[in-house]
Amino acid sequence: MTPAVTFQHVSRHFGSVRAVDGVDLTIAEGSFFAMLGPSGSGKTTCLRLISGFEKPTGGTIHIFGDDVSNTPPHLRNVNTVFQDYALFPHMNVRDNVAYGLMVKGVGRAARYGKADEMLALVKLDTYGDRKPSQLSGGQRQRVALARALVNEPRVLLLDEPLGALDLKLREAMQDELKTLQQRLGITFVFVTHDQGEALSMADNLAVFNEGKIAQIGTPEEVYAKPRTRFVADFVGSSNVLPPDITRSLGGPTAWSSLRPESLHLTAPGGALLSGPVTSLRYLGAGNRITIAAPGGAEIAAVIPAGQPVPETGQTIGLTFVPAALHVRGSA
Amino acid sequence: MPSDNRAPLSLKIGAGLGLAFLHLPIVLIFLYAFTTEQRSYQFPPPGLTTKWFAVAWNRADIWPPMILSLQVAAISTALALVLGTLVSAAMARTKFFGREQISLLIILPIALPGVITGMSLRSAFALMDIPFSTLTIILGHATFCIVIVYNNAVARMRRLSGGIMEASADLGANAFQSFRYILLPNLGSALLAGGMLAFALSFDEVIVTTFTAGQQSTLPIWMLQELVRPRQRPVTNVVAIVVFMATIIPILFAYYVTRGGSDTAGGGK
Repeated sequence: MTPAVTFQHVSRHFGSVRAVDGVDLTIAEGSFFAMLGPSGSGKTTCLRLISGFEKPTGGTIHIFGDDVSNTPPHLRNVNTVFQDYALFPHMNVRDNVAYGLMVKGVGRAARYGKADEMLALVKLDTYGDRKPSQLSGGQRQRVALARALVNEPRVLLLDEPLGALDLKLREAMQDELKTLQQRLGITFVFVTHDQGEALSMADNLAVFNEGKIAQIGTPEEVYAKPRTRFVADFVGSSNVLPPDITRSLGGPTAWSSLRPESLHLTAPGGALLSGPVTSLRYLGAGNRITIAAPGGAEIAAVIPAGQPVPETGQTIGLTFVPAALHVRGSA
Repeated sequence: MPSDNRAPLSLKIGAGLGLAFLHLPIVLIFLYAFTTEQRSYQFPPPGLTTKWFAVAWNRADIWPPMILSLQVAAISTALALVLGTLVSAAMARTKFFGREQISLLIILPIALPGVITGMSLRSAFALMDIPFSTLTIILGHATFCIVIVYNNAVARMRRLSGGIMEASADLGANAFQSFRYILLPNLGSALLAGGMLAFALSFDEVIVTTFTAGQQSTLPIWMLQELVRPRQRPVTNVVAIVVFMATIIPILFAYYVTRGGSDTAGGGK
């Protein structure tokens, strides 16, 4: 099967800034692919390279086997849900959604029929006559989605589409996007800086750092087996352990990482890790504690709600099953 | 926020007198268009008549300047609309070295005294062997008309979400379609306002015109020449009313179409 999108050693440099630097990437057709990374890591530039708003300074980009490296945005069969939605303020919702068909020369009746269909898909069937300014943030987001889907793109690009929504709406939209993607069967490429969002929605994800892909894989792989210290820290804020501590915990002399939620409270005597509690943070679903372990390492652990919570300064022990320790070759 | 402190009576009277000083002379212009006395402006007018409107209509020497003024204002406004829109698009959409400096250079013609603009244009035209004609007047007027259109358009463009042009391209629109369906409708009222103000500004311009005109005169220049002649004085007032209307109506219209926004700029030259 031809992959939806492939990057072959793609770079995008702005002067001396290497926004995207030698990225190789394959996105399978019909998958939900997340690009995760902090701001400035190159993930949005990668998305704009797919949509065509940026041209690569090196390498080639294929969409369904066609080399699109020099194809302008309006000739690519991909559509984007923009971060700020970019709805047309002078048009009502129906005209916004029908725009992609209008510029293709589809007649009024046909394009309005299709637009209403799309609005029904995002549950906004009764909002066609409103102006974007009369909608809430969540509704605008849905209009942007309907507008991008009207051209039946084979790849839908989403640039931090949930960033402006409040937490509750964001979680509801995550479920809805995932359902929509499965129903339509088209490829979604989703840019986010929220690791929780990427982990819960994506089939595959790429973690970006400084213009390069630090790791690419399924959420389970990336979460459990971070390949670099950056990934370990950025995805799920793992404890990053230097070689001497890894060895003291029964591993080889190498860097390793340990998820805070795989650590359990135990008595200090004879525990793998022990030390005084230096900080305590209530998370709602549990408590996050940090202890100062021997050798100067700060180790974080998550204690589920309902379990006794130690006090700050109290010396406690932490234990884990050996399989939870993920050893890497390098830092 | 309204203040609880009310202004003292003396200040109110002062303000009233100030406003009266500014606007009463305009009322007098209207009044003297109807006076029966044609040699001097005496107050109160000895009698009132509407015959000067008919006299003005039938005076052959009014029509050429009138037509010239309309022509110059229309063409320089059209020129300014095209060039002003293009330059505002460049300024609002892209960043390049020296952008702020160029922005200042574009605004400069309206900040410079008209005498300077006029003199420099006159010497430039002479140097290039361009004969003083309707064309040179139009070019002179276009220099400041562009500023008005530019100021209005650039303010609107900055307010527009930059993403909408990208969204349009993303949805399959070519550059012309994006301009036609997205940019123009959002820019429309700003361009209309800018065009109206530019037209009004050009229609009553005297200084730059004096320097760039050949033998022909525009309506304001005709009025200036007419004022020193004692014959049929109220005719000048009738023409003044025409000039007044031709400038105030576009300005009010421009104000109306952009009300609510703060982007009508340059109405004050």
